[in-house]
Amino acid sequence: MAKEVFMPKLSSTMEVGTLLQWLKEEGDSVEVGEPLFEIMTDKINIEVESYEDGVLLKKYNQVDDEVPVNAVIAYIGEENEEVPDEAPQGENQEDSGGDSDNDEEVTQVSTNKEETSEESDGKVRATPAARRVARENDLTLSSINGSGPKGRVHEKDVTTSLETKDGRLITPLAEKVAADNGLNLDEIQGTGSRGKITKSDVLGHVSSGTAESEEPERIKLKGLRKAVADKMLASARSIPHVTLTTDVDMTKVIEVRKALLPVIEEQTGYRLSYTEIIMKATAHVLGNHPTVNASLVDNEIVMNKSVNLGLAVAIDNGLIVPSVPAVQSQGLAELTVNSKTLGKKARNGKLTPDEMTGSTFTISNLGMYAIDGFTPIINPPETAILGVGRITEKAVVVDGSIEVKPMMVLSLSFDHRAIDGAPAAAFLTELKERLENPYGLLV
Amino acid sequence: MEKLNVPEQISNDKLKDIYKQMWLIRYFDEKVDEFFAKGMIHGTTHLAVGQEASAAGACAVIEQKDKITSTHRGHGHCIAKGATVDKMMAELFGRTTGYCKGKGGSMHIADVEMGNLGANGIVAGGIPLAVGSALTAHMKKLDYVTLCFFGDGATNEGSFHEALNLASVWNLPVIFICENNQYGMSGSVKEMVKVEDIATRSKSYGFPGVVVDGNDVVEMMNVTNEAVERARKGEGPTLIEAKTYRWKGHSKSDAKKYRTREEEKEWKAKDGIKRFKEVLLEANILTEEQEEVLRKEAKKEVEDSVEFAKNSPMPGKEELLTDVYA
Amino acid sequence: MREITYLEAVREAMSQEMRKNDDVFILGEDIGVYGGAFGVTRGMIEEFGPERVRNTPISESGIAGAAVGSALTGMRPILELQFSDFITIALDQIANQAAKVRYMYGGKGKVPMVLRTPSGSGTGAAAQHSQSLEAWVAHVPGLKVVQPSTAYDVKGLLKAAMDDDNPVIFYEHKLLYKSKSDVPEEQYSIPLGQADVKREGTDTTIVATAIMVQRALEAADELEKEGISVEVIDPRTLVPLDEETIIKSVSKTGRLVVVHEAVKRGGYGGEIASMIAESAAFDYLDAPIKRLGGAESPIPYNPELEKAHVPQVPDIVKAVKETLNRK
Repeated sequence: MAKEVFMPKLSSTMEVGTLLQWLKEEGDSVEVGEPLFEIMTDKINIEVESYEDGVLLKKYNQVDDEVPVNAVIAYIGEENEEVPDEAPQGENQEDSGGDSDNDEEVTQVSTNKEETSEESDGKVRATPAARRVARENDLTLSSINGSGPKGRVHEKDVTTSLETKDGRLITPLAEKVAADNGLNLDEIQGTGSRGKITKSDVLGHVSSGTAESEEPERIKLKGLRKAVADKMLASARSIPHVTLTTDVDMTKVIEVRKALLPVIEEQTGYRLSYTEIIMKATAHVLGNHPTVNASLVDNEIVMNKSVNLGLAVAIDNGLIVPSVPAVQSQGLAELTVNSKTLGKKARNGKLTPDEMTGSTFTISNLGMYAIDGFTPIINPPETAILGVGRITEKAVVVDGSIEVKPMMVLSLSFDHRAIDGAPAAAFLTELKERLENPYGLLV
Repeated sequence: MEKLNVPEQISNDKLKDIYKQMWLIRYFDEKVDEFFAKGMIHGTTHLAVGQEASAAGACAVIEQKDKITSTHRGHGHCIAKGATVDKMMAELFGRTTGYCKGKGGSMHIADVEMGNLGANGIVAGGIPLAVGSALTAHMKKLDYVTLCFFGDGATNEGSFHEALNLASVWNLPVIFICENNQYGMSGSVKEMVKVEDIATRSKSYGFPGVVVDGNDVVEMMNVTNEAVERARKGEGPTLIEAKTYRWKGHSKSDAKKYRTREEEKEWKAKDGIKRFKEVLLEANILTEEQEEVLRKEAKKEVEDSVEFAKNSPMPGKEELLTDVYA
Repeated sequence: MREITYLEAVREAMSQEMRKNDDVFILGEDIGVYGGAFGVTRGMIEEFGPERVRNTPISESGIAGAAVGSALTGMRPILELQFSDFITIALDQIANQAAKVRYMYGGKGKVPMVLRTPSGSGTGAAAQHSQSLEAWVAHVPGLKVVQPSTAYDVKGLLKAAMDDDNPVIFYEHKLLYKSKSDVPEEQYSIPLGQADVKREGTDTTIVATAIMVQRALEAADELEKEGISVEVIDPRTLVPLDEETIIKSVSKTGRLVVVHEAVKRGGYGGEIASMIAESAAFDYLDAPIKRLGGAESPIPYNPELEKAHVPQVPDIVKAVKETLNRK
């Protein structure tokens, strides 16, 4: 029987999703885990993957439609199965006599095909040819995604998996777009999982590679870009920002990092960076300044108990903020693993909605650029954000003499509705002191 | 020794041969009956005991070049057309030395080279074949006739009527011989045919029909001979109805509930062999001593055929797929 | 080379053989001055006379038996049955006698005859005059079964059938009688049991018989426009079947669609599909085998229903796409 595809609820606050693009057409076969369509929520845009194997029977919505959470957006089922012409109305479905008639009909059709009970026998559907090629190459069929009905593995699926075993992975849609544009796949950088080339990679390549025209390129504000734009505008418009800056002597942080890096790398395989030390210090100091770790929601200041640090990550065409929870209770090694993992997920577009929500304070690090201080925009409903600049050697006067020290500028923007200047300044001052004497963090 | 009223070409020696042949037919079928009863041969069989005169008499007047088609009850026709009982018995034993290499069995014994176009397991199945055979003679201008044997039951089959009409409109040299042994399996001819004589059915197709005492071998010879002469002269087919009786049941598992012991007794009294013996003795063509010798020879031939059959090899499995196509 | 129709090719094949071989004759209903139900024998009685072009009574069982009997005794008859449906009436003589005589008699005797008969629907003749019952006879060992699809093939195959020492059931498709192709004037023989690759392709193999060969070729043309390359094989004879050519093709394409006009259930397509499933081509199959055949109903009279009974070009196109998971 055909299965409904719903607009997913990707966060506790999500009420509608905007359909950005369909990645499958009606009649295409779809397998579990294959991206079906892309939506934009209040937080992110994300490719929604199929929970069913089958054929995309019906699409009820067009690009740019705003679709309520849990509304039926499509049907997946057996080829030629009957589905309603109009999207069923979620809750009202049972009340409608006509619809239940339809359901029966659909059931009968699929019963006739005798395929309903074959789904979970654990066996791999594969053609004899696919089995032969897999056998000849010592491949396990279960590791191969089948492109046929109900995930049936065809010979081409096996040969494709052979071709991409140590090379490229590409989505069928991206392959088609690349072929349509006559592109050499070797020149395209994949951003999907395991470097899988997606449609957006191909389109990105198309736009970057062929920008020879005199005409300015016009890119519609949509998707993630639109989400970032809206959020930034809302924040800048509604929050009275004040930004404080201070210079930090990073001599000891550099020492600490130098000492711990090999230890943590040996232990976790991840390299400790300044970001994690700054995060650790920030969490520590926020514990002493709960007003800075607060959220402002519906005219209430919520004093958060846990320090969940948002980490602004720049990705293609946007900005995304994964949240590292409970930083106050994490050691540097654990923190390194968690922040690196989340950062990678963010760059690969693999963050789950949960991993993007719940932050209580955000750190935006531009230290890899020639930037010292800046005025970061708060990530609401948080009430403050820390901007981190580069570490650079500067002439500093110490006890009347000039010394060269590795210096870094911290920029704290705070929401003046929730936080006053003095507590903000006190927080930033303590943070500066903590970083200049970081050994206390270790105890 | 006097000359019997038989066709010219039938010598007294030939009459003795015919007499012996009738015993050969009887002994053969009785032996077969015994073997089936003992389970020594498998499958099924249909015995012509009591019907020897029609087969022997009809075939007596034709030559080797002439052809016959036969029926499921065909051992008699086969012997009468000159088959050796060795090869027949070997066939029933399923041996490679049988007429059909053990592939045909009782119902399909044929000897195409000797003009026996074969017994037939389908009631009336052989009748159109006989017409085809006659058609060849006609088209190739070959001087042979085809004797077509069938039972009373076959005359209710469509192909009997189609074949008779075809032979008639094409004026073919074929002699249809209906051995009316009174029963088509259990179906009495009285129940199944409304006309008194099946021979009258020829009238529908515009050629002669003759009723003959099928247990009178002399009359069988004379009537058949007349029909053969007509055919050879190009005067077309004849239908002969030989009234006779099968002493045994239809096939091996027949309790004969459809008829009475009295009826069987009555017909056994009209035994064609016994009657022919009396004729031959009376005409001094045969002495009692000679009669006994002929009978013993016939019996020995059958016994020898059993030895021959038993000593013959079984076909190998490779024979299964040979002879399907020419 | 000159072009003649399928019907003319049948007549020419018979006439040429009859001029050469006195043993060959034709018998059937209304084949004399009438020229046969479809006009195939028109003019033949004038050339060969009524002895060799034998007009028969309407007695399918009788004339079939006469053909078998004459074949058994040295003639080489060609029996024309007006409609292949009538083989039901003649079937005892065909299935029980002609097919079995040689085997039953232990290899003695042979039945060199050809039973020619027009089959198929599309003429509005409805249920009793439109069937394709070739699977019935193909099931009987001892018979050979031929289903030509072009004028060229019909002439060469009929020559081979007439030369064969076995009973050959020779199906002529009514709708093909008017189809034309280049046909050599001289006699030639196409061996029974040799399939013909009517079109080469790489993506899917279609095995089609009789008029379905033409429809398969039309479907292949359409599919080519969508970049789908179809190989079309005409087995030409069902018995013997050229398994090798089909296996080779399916091993290449990995996909098989079998199309015939006969009712799908129990049709010969099942035999071809099973043969492939049992063959070395199995390991190359990359999609379930598809069979297309007539609907499970008698053939209806109404022209639209009649059409719906039988596979049409769009059905073939769809089936091929299904083997390729394409829509």
